[in-house]
Amino acid sequence: MTRAAVSREFASDQPELDLELRDSAFGTALRRSDLAVIAVALAGAAAAAAIVSSGGVVTAPTAFATVLVANIVTLAVGGVAWRRGRPFSLFGNLLLAEGALVFVSSLSGSSNSVLHLVGLLGIWGTAFGASWLLVVFPSSRPAGAAWIVMGIALATFLVGELPLILTSSSLQGLTSLSSCATTCPANPALAVHAPSVATAFRYVEDALQAAWGVGLLFFLATRFAWASRARRRLILPVFVSAAPLAAAFTLSAVVFGLAGVSSSATARAIFAGARILYPLGFVAGLLFARAYAGEALAFMARKLVGRPSVATVEQLVRRVLDDPQARLVFWLPRSEQFVDRHGRPAVLDPGLETVTWRAFGHGDAKVLAVVHDLALGEDPELVEAVGAASLLALENRRLEHDLLDSVDALRASQRRLVGAASAERRKIERDLHDGVQQKLVALRIQLELTRDLARGNGLGNRLDALAADFDDALDELRSAAHGIYPPLLADEGLEAALREVARRSSLPLTVDLEDVGRLSEDCETAIYYCCLEALQNVAKHAGDDALASLRLWRDRSAVRFSVRDDGVGYVPRSGINGAGLTNMTDRMGAVGGTLRVRSRPGEGTMVEGGIASEASDRTGDVIRV
Amino acid sequence: MSSASELSNTEPVYRIVVAEDAYLIREGIRSALEREKEEVEVLEYCPDFDSLLRAVEEHAPNVVITDIRMPPTNTDEGIQAATALRESNPGVGVVVISQYVSPHYALKLFEHGSAGRAYLLKERVGHRIQLLEAIREVAAGGSVVDPKVVDVLVEARMRAKNSLLSRLSTREREVLAGVATGASNAAIADSLFLTKRAVEKNINSLFAKLDLTDDKSTSRRVRAALLFIADSDLEPGTES
Repeated sequence: MTRAAVSREFASDQPELDLELRDSAFGTALRRSDLAVIAVALAGAAAAAAIVSSGGVVTAPTAFATVLVANIVTLAVGGVAWRRGRPFSLFGNLLLAEGALVFVSSLSGSSNSVLHLVGLLGIWGTAFGASWLLVVFPSSRPAGAAWIVMGIALATFLVGELPLILTSSSLQGLTSLSSCATTCPANPALAVHAPSVATAFRYVEDALQAAWGVGLLFFLATRFAWASRARRRLILPVFVSAAPLAAAFTLSAVVFGLAGVSSSATARAIFAGARILYPLGFVAGLLFARAYAGEALAFMARKLVGRPSVATVEQLVRRVLDDPQARLVFWLPRSEQFVDRHGRPAVLDPGLETVTWRAFGHGDAKVLAVVHDLALGEDPELVEAVGAASLLALENRRLEHDLLDSVDALRASQRRLVGAASAERRKIERDLHDGVQQKLVALRIQLELTRDLARGNGLGNRLDALAADFDDALDELRSAAHGIYPPLLADEGLEAALREVARRSSLPLTVDLEDVGRLSEDCETAIYYCCLEALQNVAKHAGDDALASLRLWRDRSAVRFSVRDDGVGYVPRSGINGAGLTNMTDRMGAVGGTLRVRSRPGEGTMVEGGIASEASDRTGDVIRV
Repeated sequence: MSSASELSNTEPVYRIVVAEDAYLIREGIRSALEREKEEVEVLEYCPDFDSLLRAVEEHAPNVVITDIRMPPTNTDEGIQAATALRESNPGVGVVVISQYVSPHYALKLFEHGSAGRAYLLKERVGHRIQLLEAIREVAAGGSVVDPKVVDVLVEARMRAKNSLLSRLSTREREVLAGVATGASNAAIADSLFLTKRAVEKNINSLFAKLDLTDDKSTSRRVRAALLFIADSDLEPGTES
């Protein structure tokens, strides 16, 4: 698998993810080409069984046929599964090639000498192929010590098998894989008939085969011992299923070849069992990886409930990937780069030696990438699961943030509107009070002075009437200004203003007003007008005998008010008081407060509201001019 | 009150400091007090709270007429000045003039004692009797509340059902309102066309009815009456 192939892949868009699930090796809809491969494999397996059974040259044709059929089927299924689960990996193709070699090896059951020879070469090929599969797994090319193992394997052929073919009249192939004893057809490739040389080469081949088997065992053991936990998960089933074969391969070369002990039916049966077992490990490895990825996904999903921080998600990714260096980086579309969670640019160089990365997002739009150990590239299901879970968690978080942001913005703009309106009303009241009202009062004083001079004559009487009209006009102006914004609310706050409302109210009203201190102007206005509105509702709708009570208090968390009456009540939502209630709800909502109205016919009405202390307290004193 | 001016034919009786920041009103006050110059001498006109207190220190007046709202904060400097003067110059009477009909401010003015305090709407300034009456009352330690403030309250309370006020007879209510404005028994008698004796009887009976102690100090009586009219109905539990 190449890094470029991984980094080019952007998973996790919903439809794509769905497609991928259906396409997966364990999904239901198999591709036509996969079905063809399986069909060919089944036909090949049947043909192989027929060749082995009918040729009459194989010592134990049933056991041999069983091994061949089992291997071909397993390798074909494994190959298809691998190719579909990890399309970027060549390993699936290797499994299919090995399956084809196993079919070729069935020709060793033919009595035709040429076909028999081809079959024997096929047997050697299957051993070489199985060895290749085991040392490269789950990649496709050997690296490091794997080359030594494969070198020994090649040497076994060049120094042992090949000279043996040229010098031995009877072909037996690799000792452990020998399929015929006495009835083997003549060797068509015999160049020099030299039985003693052939015997010598047989010893050489057996020795090299033993070295090959030991090398393979040693390679697998050290590889497992040094592997990271993530990689172990993948190679454990392969190691467990291949170790018996490698051991049997080695032992048979030593015991039946070098020591000259004649093979028994039991030994052959054990060897056959080991051969059937080994390719199952590859399929099991794939299954284990998927199962672990599923488990990891479930684990992450459980841990990501709530509102995990980016740091928490990153920590989980590290834990699940078992990679302490793993990081989450986030794509900034505007600056076209990845940054880490602290906003530092992240360098994702495709030439990095120890880490690789995989991006997740929607379609072609990247959102984040998981930077992880190179070894985890062989565990793509896990990385994919982890990345998708992280994406979901962070997307949810972002969505929630966006939602809260917009709610906040809405509330802030509502608050600004209400705030602007009440500030404007206050200003108008001030202007009236200090402007026209003051001028009228001054004129009224002058009128009174003039009247005093004209007292007792006709002009005086006219001025008396004028003064009375003047007073009425002043009263009206005063009450209009008061209605626009009560000066007492601005000057002294809620308690004084509401007490004044109660004093000048014609309702039978009791009050329980606590000094709640000064709140922000918006909050004071909201509560004041809600109380006023509620009291007006009582006057209008509660009935003539209704007694009302007005309460204002502060508890640990909020400033609260209530207006209750014992009047006729109403069925909520029946439309009565509709506009007033909406008005009150809007006022309280704009300042982040709450409003509750409870009413039932015959049981009066209660309006109760509150504003959380932190939302209502004054941040700075109001400057009056 | 011509009789008063005749009595004081040497020096003016009332030495006054006026505090008012609005020019038009200040001129109104000036014209009004000009008429009374035999009885009233204005020592200084001040534009704000600080200069008022300074002027009081400097001139030692016996009466202060002050706007309720003045610099620096334009809220209730007049009331603050009245409170401060009660401590520093207990003998000085204070007439607070205001554009607000709110009983809140009148009650606030009386909070630390009602003796020598008057709450008057500004338009009364032009009214010879009302202004001079207030000046005389506060100088003598009495109290005055603008009748309009009392009227607003009485009117609202009378409209309310089950108001304690509505249990009084009309006559008693009128007498109580008169008491709340600071009017003397004689003045109440005059305005209601009653004998002084009848007013006294009414006061005794209604004060007993309302469970108020009929204080011989008229200024305390004013406050009690005003408080009763303003707040008696609002107390929870007084209603059956």
